[in-house]
Amino acid sequence: MTSISLYVDKKSIVHDVDFLTKLIYCCVFIVAPIITGAVILGTFSFLVSLILIISAGALKKLMPIAALSLFVLLSVIIIQSAFIQGYHDVLFTIGPVHFYREGLIHASSIVVRFLDILLAFSLIVLTTHPADMVETLQRKGLSHRIGYVILSVFQIIPQMAQTMKTISDAQRSRGLETEGNIFIRAKAFLPLIGPVVINSLIGTRERAMALEARAFSAEVKHTYFRDEPVYRYKTPVRLILLLLLIVSIAWRLL
Amino acid sequence: MSKIIVKSLKYKYPLTEALALNGLTFQIERGEFIGIIGRNGAGKSTLCAALSGLVPHFFKGAYGGSILIDGINVKESKLSDIARKVGIVFQNPFTQMTGAKDSVTEELAFGMENLAIPKTEMVRRIDDALRLLEIENLRDKNPFELSGGQMQRVAIASILVMLPEVIVLDEPTSQLDPQGTEEVFKAIKRLSNQGMTIIMVEHKTEKIAEYADRVMLLDQGQIVAFDPPAKLFSLSNLEERGVRPPVFTRVAKGLDIHDQVGLYPVTLESTVNEVQKVYESH
Amino acid sequence: MNLIEVRNLHFSYQNDHDVLKGIDLTFDHRSTAIIGQNGAGKTTFVKLLKGLLKPVTGDILVNGINTKETSVAKLAAQIGLVFQNPGDQIFKSKVYDEIIVGPRNIGMPADEAENMTKRALEAVGLGSKINHNPYDLSFAERKLVSIASILAMDPRIVILDEPTIAQDDPGKQLIKDLIKKLESEGKLVISILHDMDFVSETFTRTIVFQHGRVMIDDDTKSVFSQTDVLREAYLEPPHITQLGNRLGYSETYLTAEQFVNDLLMEKKLKSNIN
Repeated sequence: MTSISLYVDKKSIVHDVDFLTKLIYCCVFIVAPIITGAVILGTFSFLVSLILIISAGALKKLMPIAALSLFVLLSVIIIQSAFIQGYHDVLFTIGPVHFYREGLIHASSIVVRFLDILLAFSLIVLTTHPADMVETLQRKGLSHRIGYVILSVFQIIPQMAQTMKTISDAQRSRGLETEGNIFIRAKAFLPLIGPVVINSLIGTRERAMALEARAFSAEVKHTYFRDEPVYRYKTPVRLILLLLLIVSIAWRLL
Repeated sequence: MSKIIVKSLKYKYPLTEALALNGLTFQIERGEFIGIIGRNGAGKSTLCAALSGLVPHFFKGAYGGSILIDGINVKESKLSDIARKVGIVFQNPFTQMTGAKDSVTEELAFGMENLAIPKTEMVRRIDDALRLLEIENLRDKNPFELSGGQMQRVAIASILVMLPEVIVLDEPTSQLDPQGTEEVFKAIKRLSNQGMTIIMVEHKTEKIAEYADRVMLLDQGQIVAFDPPAKLFSLSNLEERGVRPPVFTRVAKGLDIHDQVGLYPVTLESTVNEVQKVYESH
Repeated sequence: MNLIEVRNLHFSYQNDHDVLKGIDLTFDHRSTAIIGQNGAGKTTFVKLLKGLLKPVTGDILVNGINTKETSVAKLAAQIGLVFQNPGDQIFKSKVYDEIIVGPRNIGMPADEAENMTKRALEAVGLGSKINHNPYDLSFAERKLVSIASILAMDPRIVILDEPTIAQDDPGKQLIKDLIKKLESEGKLVISILHDMDFVSETFTRTIVFQHGRVMIDDDTKSVFSQTDVLREAYLEPPHITQLGNRLGYSETYLTAEQFVNDLLMEKKLKSNIN
């Protein structure tokens, strides 16, 4: 039973940076290219994030995310360059479909922006422990109930997947066919999903009692067992990031 | 002074008709080890919930009478305040893990974080609890990667660090294998030796006979008897109440081996002694 | 005739290490307890018998059918498995409806299905609760519902995973009687258990699993006489066996009644000699 968190547990200069600074980085590196509208700046931001992810040793975990988004990007490129009306400059043709140069340029700017956002967020998720994220937010005033819900999802979803498997086994043991045509599968839906729902409701009630027994609803300001991550260069890094943002705004205005 | 004073406690779950607890009056002294036995539906779990404040603060319903623990009235206190006095451990170790912590130490810290205990104090209490339950080697493990017996000891430790004066355990070993059961019983025994008040629901009467100072037999929400094990398991109508006495007592009853006041031996040791006396004098 | 044959069975979940490391067993109609530590491979083994998992190497024949060559649903009429947690299967809002699901799935004629459902309900003592919602019942009663739902399919082989969890003494007594009745009807009951007292009073044959292997396989009495081997598997003999051992009797006692009878007999003999 593992967590579905994407966090890569390593030590690196990127891991050392605190969550808020990373959040500021993320905002600046997404907003700045959009403000300036320069594709070159988008490409630059995207490359910086990529280098940081590689230096944090988290490239391997980035791959599945990248692969998933490749699918989306490919469809963006095809639609933008071949199926949008009003373009004239045909670059190449595959079968009956013409691909236009203007479309491809437009598509590439969308792709860059998308990758930029994706990598900036991935940088945070891959190199920050979920508990550090949530606890930082709690220290800033997020309710501890919401914090608990966010954190528990990481472990409870894999558990539910496990339960699903057991339930499927139990129903097949009673002669329920779960494989075959759509009709057979539809018939198997209720016997499979019913116990999952009831099980998780019962599990939730039991867990709620266990949480109450550990003073979950105490109305005091909480303390934290995990040390608050302290980043030595927090102020200069944040200042530089802010400066970047100001420069990009200035660039746009001038 | 008694630690726990219960006076004519009555309770009915919402949307039901029968009383789950029907007029319980009893006292428990500081440091006692109490076993609770009885058939399913007798009110054992409900009593645990009442002692830990889950009744009536988590389960609503009709409530009468009172429970005083160390001077505080359960009905009029908040759950988080009761949690400092009474800890409760349930059957299923799995649902007692928060699911929000990925190491045993952090899992143990959860309750203390909620009570705003300073970090240095947390560390001290966690070390103590890990040592007492002999799970120091598990401190950095993910709670969900543990065996049932280990997970249940983590559940007990997570209560223990809140320094309650009473620990209520509702069939803590029913889902464990023999080794896990033994680990948990040893741990509870150590807590008891440290002077903690233990209240434990358990079907394994041999274990109860061995460990408990007094045993409460419940049936239909009422106390049938509340006596030391030898006296309680010597009662003649236990089977009618859905309870089978320890196998040792059944043997002694079959052989008609009892002391002057009619009490049968209830543990392995005492039965061995008594049987030897009778069967070697021949 | 052998109802189940297991030949050179190996199994692993993810090719890393074998959970089961070469098991050869045959099962006839004798009721059989499988005991051992958690993680010894007991649950994996019964899932293989049931066809929910397929052997990596080796074969399992259930009533002559190789589990590799059939589907779980098709095996359902031959072999039933009651899961540890009744919550893993219950989805109907009435006890009766829940239990008749299995018989209908395996294509039992309507009147026979109804008949078997009623008989199964009587067998587990829930005859008066056929219209209750299973989730209004206690956990122990829900467990009985899940047992009945397998019995109603009338399989020749019934596997029970931890049937005594959360049962009180009357519940255990009921399950014990049920297992003995099934055995007398010529059915094979295989059960995973942690409660040694229950095993000694109920089962004819006992198999001890450890680290994916069969450590002991014998009649229950012989198994519980091997105290040292049991201890190696982190198991203790039943309480009554321990009592007999402590008192120095060479006989391995499995029930209190047997122990009492023998001692009373001994007393009688001695007083006759005197």
